[in-house]
Amino acid sequence: MNISPLNVVLLVIIGLLAVGIYGLLITRNLIKIVLVLQILVKSAMLALVLAGKVGNNLGLGQSLAATVIVADTVVAVVGLALAVQVRRRFGTLDVADISTLRG
Amino acid sequence: MDAIRFTWMFAIPLLSSPAIYLAGRLGIHNPNQKGRPNLVRILALLAVIATWVPYIAAVRTFLSGERLEFAVESIWLRADAISLLLALMVLSLGTLVVIFSWSYMADEVGEEKFYAMLLAMMGLMIGLGCASDLFNLWVWFEGMAVSSYLLVAFYREQPASLEAGVKYLVQSATGSVLVLMGIALVLANSGSLDLAALHQNGARWASDHRLVSLAAAGLFIIGFGVKAALVPLHTWLPDAHSQAPSGIRAMLSGVVIEAGLIAMLRALSAIMHPLDWRIILLSFGALNMVFGNLVALRQTILKRMLAYSSLSHIGYILLGIGVSLFAGGEAAAQGAMFHLFTHMLMKGLAFLAAGALIYALYLQNGSHHALLVSDLAGTAQKYPMVALSLSIAVLGLGGLPPLAGFMSKWQIFVGGFSTQNGWIIALMVFMALNSVLSLGYYAPLVNLMYRKTPSDAILAGKPLPSTITLPLIFLAMAVVVLGLAPGLMDWLTAPAAKALLGLFGN
Repeated sequence: MNISPLNVVLLVIIGLLAVGIYGLLITRNLIKIVLVLQILVKSAMLALVLAGKVGNNLGLGQSLAATVIVADTVVAVVGLALAVQVRRRFGTLDVADISTLRG
Repeated sequence: MDAIRFTWMFAIPLLSSPAIYLAGRLGIHNPNQKGRPNLVRILALLAVIATWVPYIAAVRTFLSGERLEFAVESIWLRADAISLLLALMVLSLGTLVVIFSWSYMADEVGEEKFYAMLLAMMGLMIGLGCASDLFNLWVWFEGMAVSSYLLVAFYREQPASLEAGVKYLVQSATGSVLVLMGIALVLANSGSLDLAALHQNGARWASDHRLVSLAAAGLFIIGFGVKAALVPLHTWLPDAHSQAPSGIRAMLSGVVIEAGLIAMLRALSAIMHPLDWRIILLSFGALNMVFGNLVALRQTILKRMLAYSSLSHIGYILLGIGVSLFAGGEAAAQGAMFHLFTHMLMKGLAFLAAGALIYALYLQNGSHHALLVSDLAGTAQKYPMVALSLSIAVLGLGGLPPLAGFMSKWQIFVGGFSTQNGWIIALMVFMALNSVLSLGYYAPLVNLMYRKTPSDAILAGKPLPSTITLPLIFLAMAVVVLGLAPGLMDWLTAPAAKALLGLFGN
């Protein structure tokens, strides 16, 4: 099997996705969760650029990725703002310790 | 120039949102101006009222048979009957929520943020309905999600609100990554994201890449399903719905999850994969109904009970849509579209009535305590209007005959039976049984409110201002009127059902 650059990109996407999902499952620190979400979004951005290349519409793929950068920055900012408030109210960033709502 | 006019539907709320925020912030630093927060509320109310103007214009254009579409470069925005239905839901509930929050939010810190985010969320949802390519759909969807995270965590002094906000953000953000992956799969294999173009050669690309289209459908169902609260992905919903400010709960339950559902259906329409995922929709519908109803039965906090009942109503809607897609025939899909609307009215009413009680019993006394079901005892003696409207809402949700909820469920039911398919009929019977089951937790509420002696919480309650009761009266009347004359909504639900089935090529 010959290794083309596209296959390498595909492997990186799958790797980032795997790291991200594994991280979501094991991480308990809120800041780290925001970082893990960033890793996930980065894999989706690479996937969009790759998809643009494969689908003969590279410009579209790249502009989508650029838009995703903006959108996911907003999500990260909101996530970090929540983390700041959680640290103030609970005195901890561990998500297992802030869980009170049940049922 | 006419074509561009309908875009004001979402442009007005989106443009007024930063203006409201700035007006509120600038007013704070002016010590001479005592009545500062009033400006924010008045601006918000003016903005929602102004939004009705382009909406009505758009409806008139739509009824005259013209197409509503508008393009910036190659990005198309098209308003079809589904967009107009969603916009009507957003606008009617949004207007009432702004009026409801007039007194409800008056003493809160950051009132200007509340109205700014509420209007932004409304504008983004109306835009979501008009998006006609997959990526555009994602952008509106993500914007709506971000504004709703901020609204859920609005009471940032309350630990439980923060927790609900964190849960909501993490689950929803993961879902939107999965949607992006699905979009990448579609783009890689078809080279286009325009829904109309994908639809035209949809059968071709999807049958060329059977596995890929199946994977993309799975990603869309899971990704948008988080927002639409399909059952294994629903865990954020009861927390978010019970911790947000009351007006936002009504919006979340009445409109936001439905917007997620509509986004999911639009995205799925790009993938013309026969049969497989229609069964998935039907099974999610059945699962949502039974799970939502069973868990709601054992809730002691009123808001959480209503939140779980939203799950079962999403189930009814999915079932109606699934039946029409599976077996053909518009009746069930029209019933589902009608149920989208009536559920918005009834659930909005239920959450606002619960909010009125929270305001009277707890917030006015400086407490953020959750409203327990047992607190409702004897409400009718002190707050007859609230008790009546909450009763109308829950009995309508349970599907008692003269109310709107019965009519929409009945339409789905009749649509299902007319397919003459054994499995569908079994599902319809299951739905009817679920509807009866749901009365198991709705009916005791009515009993509590009317037949018990008032609880301590009720006795300590404060009077309610008219801005809070006004939206309740209006919604309660709408529920009764639509129950007596369900044909009033046919002008919109019938084309919406047709447009929905058109999306899928039926």
